[in-house]
Amino acid sequence: MTSKAYHSGGGAFASRKRTERIANTATVAIIAILAAMAILPIYWVFRSSVISNSELYAYPPSFLPKEWLWSNYLRTLESFEFWTYFKNTFSIIIPAVTAGTITGIFSAYAFARLNFKGKRLIFTLCVGTILLPGMVTLIPLYVFWTRGLHLGGTYWPMILPFFTGGGFFNIFLLKQFMETVPIEIDEAAEIDGASRMRILWFMIVPSIKPAIIVVIMLLFIQLWNDLLQQMIYINSMAKFTFAIGLTTFTGAFGTKWNYAMAATCLTMLPGIVIYLLGQRSFVEGITLTGMKN
Amino acid sequence: MIDLPKTNTESIIKKKRYRNKESLTAFLCLIPVFMGLSIISYIPTIAVFVLSMFDWNGLTAPKFVALDNFVRIFSRDMYFYDSVRVTIVYAFIAVAGSLLYSLIIALFLNRKIPARPFWRAIFFIPYMLPAAGVFTAWRWLYEVNYGLFNYAFRILGLPPQQFVQSPAQVLPSLALIAVWCSGNLIVIFVASLQNVARVYMEAAEIDGANAWQRFWNVTIPCISPIIFYNMLMALISNLQVITPALAMTNGGPQNGSMFMSYIIYMYGFQKNRLGYASAYAVIFFMIVGIFTAILFKTFGSQFFGGGEKK
Repeated sequence: MTSKAYHSGGGAFASRKRTERIANTATVAIIAILAAMAILPIYWVFRSSVISNSELYAYPPSFLPKEWLWSNYLRTLESFEFWTYFKNTFSIIIPAVTAGTITGIFSAYAFARLNFKGKRLIFTLCVGTILLPGMVTLIPLYVFWTRGLHLGGTYWPMILPFFTGGGFFNIFLLKQFMETVPIEIDEAAEIDGASRMRILWFMIVPSIKPAIIVVIMLLFIQLWNDLLQQMIYINSMAKFTFAIGLTTFTGAFGTKWNYAMAATCLTMLPGIVIYLLGQRSFVEGITLTGMKN
Repeated sequence: MIDLPKTNTESIIKKKRYRNKESLTAFLCLIPVFMGLSIISYIPTIAVFVLSMFDWNGLTAPKFVALDNFVRIFSRDMYFYDSVRVTIVYAFIAVAGSLLYSLIIALFLNRKIPARPFWRAIFFIPYMLPAAGVFTAWRWLYEVNYGLFNYAFRILGLPPQQFVQSPAQVLPSLALIAVWCSGNLIVIFVASLQNVARVYMEAAEIDGANAWQRFWNVTIPCISPIIFYNMLMALISNLQVITPALAMTNGGPQNGSMFMSYIIYMYGFQKNRLGYASAYAVIFFMIVGIFTAILFKTFGSQFFGGGEKK
């Protein structure tokens, strides 16, 4: 990014280049230090999961394990039922994310493309829900799901709320993105006799794929991070998720921190894998979406 | 009007029918939104106000007690004043910390550095970790005798600290975890920085502005709506903080992390006092509302445009 003004004097240009190079080296150095600090807790947890209990309490602690005790994981898996938790967690996440994405697309389409009475009012009411703290509605919703619909002990109270567009933020994101799709595409398809739903699902949706990936990721993270809802609605061991399983496991194991850390690593793993798989489209998507100035 | 050309009338009818159909489609598409607004948002909000005036254990018939729950909270509740203070102090530290941290990291990530996705991933991954895992991990890191933090303190020649076991340190310690997990803010800041128009930067450069001036006079004004948005979202989510108390501290030590959300949970689901917990939720709602309003008044900008506007 050299601008014309600097081309006048060769010396100034060279010195500017040098300053830029120094600045870039310094940036990389600082970012590396910050990154090391950010990743250290995760490394430390991992390191603590593969060492013996005696090494865990040794002073000074070793940065690298003297002996890699992978067997800790086998021991942990004896009572930490990874696959049960995996199955249970994803039997909440998959239906909820699917429902949230599909209903979100329908709702966003109405706001982005259709004219109807009361659009502004409905939109404003929706914006209001972003500012509504979830803690406020927690108890009435609990009463509604368990007393009203008798869904206590099932996953439905955690899934059904996602049938409402997955939260207005996601609808807003999809709407912003749909508006960048030229309306001429709709008009041309309409002349060709395509129905609105055909236009939506075969023309608009494919061209807003990055936004859809962002929405899927955000919904996933929201559910993946949740502990409160699961603590409220899950009440039998057969239904334990990662979050509940881990909390119970570490409570039961007391000071056996290496097993606790092994269970923690196992719990963290699926999220990291999913991020690494989706990170490119995710970050691209966020950059392209309504996060513009 | 009576002798309108036939074709015109037809087209008007056609148009009208088309518009009716458009409204019908919109209505059908918006069914999820209507359900969300009513069942998930506004009806429960009204319901919480109603429930707050009852004494109800969830089993026997609810008893109407008017404003007794509120009177009791303000006059006799042993947690109330602590919880308000703790919630607000925590939210302030966590919001300020995460905004500062994420903006700094984003500014670095926005520079031309090699392997940018790699660095970005490192700062973002803590956000992808499940809350239960994060707090189990940090319980070990904060462990008083063998934890990583006190080990680092010892190397630096500092006295060991109690962290989450000390009433004075528990809030900053928990806020640090929130800062660590603010990868979402980083991604949003990075995105907004990439969209700062190059032309402004170059114009400022040609005018001889140095890096610092460019930052204050070009970058910050350009991303100020995003700063506001991030601040708002961070404030609302941090005022609602509950997971640290659920997974780590149980509100302790000495009510040092008795967050309002945790009290709502405790009264509602552990002590089965649904009416009383609802009264707490109403007060909590007011507090969040006041802070949101203050934020809008101070930094007022309209992030979400109207329905028609872009």
